[in-house]
Amino acid sequence: MQYQMNEFLFAMILTELEDAVGKENCSTRAIDKVTHSVDYYWLSRMWADRGCRMPEADIVVCPNDAEEVSKVLKIANYYKLPVTTWGAGGGTQGGAIPVAGGILLDTKRMNKIYEVNTDGMYIECGTGAIYKHIEWAANEVGKATMHYPSSLTCSTVGGFLAHRGIGVVSTKYGKIDDMVLQMEVVLPNGDIINTSPAPKHAAGPDLNQIFIGSEGTLGIITKAQIRIFDQPEERRFRGFLFQDMTGAFKASRELLQKFKPSVMRLYDEAETVSLIKKIVGVERKGAFMNVAYEGAKEMVEVEEKILLDTFKKYGAEDLGSEYGEKWWKEKITFFYPGHMMDIPQCFGTMDTIAPYGKIEEIYWAMKEAIETNFPQAKFIAHFSHWYEWGAMVYDRFIVDGKDVPKDPVEALRLHQAIWTCGVRTALAHGGVVNDHHGVGIKLGRLMKEQYGPAMQVFEGLKKTLDPNGIMNPFKLGL
Amino acid sequence: MIMSEKSKQHVDSCRFCWMCHHICPIGNATGQERNTARARALGISLVNREAIDLSEIMDNIYECCTCGACVHDCVTGWDPVMFTKETRLKAALEDKTPDYIKPLIANCLATGNAYGKTEICDRLAQSVKAHADKKDILLFLGADARFMACEQALKAIKVLEKAGVEFTVLEKEPASGVQLDFLIGAANETKAQMEECAEVLNKYKTVVLYDPNDAKAVKQLYKEYGVEVAANAVTYTSFLADLIKEGKLETKQSGRTVVFQDPYQLSRDLEETEEAREIVKAYAKLDEMLLNRAETVWAGNILMAQYMPEVIKLVAKRRIFNAKSVGANTIVTASVAEYVSLKAVAEEENSEIISIEDLILG
Repeated sequence: MQYQMNEFLFAMILTELEDAVGKENCSTRAIDKVTHSVDYYWLSRMWADRGCRMPEADIVVCPNDAEEVSKVLKIANYYKLPVTTWGAGGGTQGGAIPVAGGILLDTKRMNKIYEVNTDGMYIECGTGAIYKHIEWAANEVGKATMHYPSSLTCSTVGGFLAHRGIGVVSTKYGKIDDMVLQMEVVLPNGDIINTSPAPKHAAGPDLNQIFIGSEGTLGIITKAQIRIFDQPEERRFRGFLFQDMTGAFKASRELLQKFKPSVMRLYDEAETVSLIKKIVGVERKGAFMNVAYEGAKEMVEVEEKILLDTFKKYGAEDLGSEYGEKWWKEKITFFYPGHMMDIPQCFGTMDTIAPYGKIEEIYWAMKEAIETNFPQAKFIAHFSHWYEWGAMVYDRFIVDGKDVPKDPVEALRLHQAIWTCGVRTALAHGGVVNDHHGVGIKLGRLMKEQYGPAMQVFEGLKKTLDPNGIMNPFKLGL
Repeated sequence: MIMSEKSKQHVDSCRFCWMCHHICPIGNATGQERNTARARALGISLVNREAIDLSEIMDNIYECCTCGACVHDCVTGWDPVMFTKETRLKAALEDKTPDYIKPLIANCLATGNAYGKTEICDRLAQSVKAHADKKDILLFLGADARFMACEQALKAIKVLEKAGVEFTVLEKEPASGVQLDFLIGAANETKAQMEECAEVLNKYKTVVLYDPNDAKAVKQLYKEYGVEVAANAVTYTSFLADLIKEGKLETKQSGRTVVFQDPYQLSRDLEETEEAREIVKAYAKLDEMLLNRAETVWAGNILMAQYMPEVIKLVAKRRIFNAKSVGANTIVTASVAEYVSLKAVAEEENSEIISIEDLILG
């Protein structure tokens, strides 16, 4: 049934939501609505910078647990109100922006740490916990989460799960989808479910992986058991300079058949002479690569020998440990205002992933496509998450402020055009829509281009679980 | 709203930066997105762009405790406290201060303290009277201790008596200006209070500042305001640490294990972290919470509890949780405000809160 919201009905719904989560956790105040309307997505930032208000939720609710989330979703389903889930707002794809209004559900009150289990090696926590807080909890018992993205301090556990995030030591320890044991999820109809008690099983498809990366379109993850690891006895760094990226790819592919370093970051020439020069101090031409390896001391000794022997074969110049250590110390500094790209520049990270044999081709094709079609854009990249079979490219475009239209709609058009060009090029050469930032509203339109008829699997799940289409509308292409 | 160029620059840097999201004691306690430096900056930036009215963000501006955790955390030196305080001043000038804040400001101007109190409790009055004679050393108790935590003020005096120190306590203390600085920032009225206070302090050779908030004001803010203090201003904790070193205060191990709650004014603003630990270690076994010294987490105050008491309870409970995470059940405080805030929820949280004076007096 279609209906038009009116003041009376709105007031009625508000009282129901207040009853569900408590009056103090339910807001229609301008500051709460504005705060939840701008996330890390460039378009939302540009919009606000131009003095425009982004689409806002009508009501912001902050539930305390799955039971309260369930109540909210039942109310939302009854009145057919959109529900957008918000973690901490650190997403770059506009996934948490309430573009259709309705209810904004902020998860941060669900931040309890229920258990630090050193037998099972996991922390059970509410998904509203800031990841850094569970890292602290792990550190208190001498462990670590080994999930260290640049947004460690400003994103929630649920946020990382929702868009399949990744951290800088992923090559050894895995992506967020490797970090989870069991999850509690509230389905759109309000039912509270638990995924399998263990993630590795043959009891049908992996329920975790249906909800991880679903960006709040299929349900709301409210609790998770997140893996923890022993702190490494030793963590060593080594910087290398390759003459070109081709040699680095060959060397890295060979290395990964032998052991898994924790950090592997290969910078293209453009990024080597810009960011790396500024922060790490390397001023040489070529492709800089930083590798970290860690664990039991004896293993680290062996790994270091293998690393040096392997990279030497491919002509890498050994720059010693200083650059790597400095990078580790400064790894988050890159993302603070003053170091990071910022308004008035127009920029974006078009990360994609592919097997060896394709990934370098994708890099060159994207670089050419962006620089040819948008001569005002600079293209830089690094390759920072590696597997035995392939790697991801973290490629960025940057347009100087003077070349960005002042008119917000025109600026939006430019941003969209660059993104479409870059991601379509990646898809045409065997890449994916995104590696670890997610899809959101930014890339939803390109999901069908990647998946083709396979998209009906996602659409079928969406129709079954969320028949009223209330969950995070217009995100993920659903 | 007309802001300084410096504040504008900081606002526009912080409005889209999430890096200190994890560190705000208020935001972590409430779970509210608006309680972050970036949300506050975003709101102010939208006011500057006339996309929202100043009055619509002022509640949030007063939800900041100005503890500076975000400033300390920022590797590039952006300062959300600076633009938050400037916004409070602008709001006052534009008559957009929230109604529940106005009486606190009026009280500060009328009585010198935000609580509007004029009389101290009888027992404290007697104790103060006993130290009315002019000595070289002045013990400056501060408004929180005098009017809201009389027992703590009495203990502060008793500890110095125990060490045989000769000192003065003023029957009528001038306002340090720190409360007004919190409420309306760098207004003329704030500076006037500071000047008046400095004039009194300068009559003494040494001023022992019991309240870390006053210590921050006198030792740091006065310089920023251009107010000169000729007296040797020292914190209560550093003064006590010296007394212990000189053997003037008897020490005895109590056998208890405690953690110490660093007041941010001492640890971050004045970079004083070890003096209190030396005192604590003279009487008990000291463990550390994960976030200690300059990384300390503010545990609440009395002034903000006047207008957001439930949030202050949440803040205090969260800090007790930090202590319990390292197995500590007893927290030692060096700030009246934090003592009162933590004590208010201690029973509910099954935790013990004691002050440094409690530890010394046994």
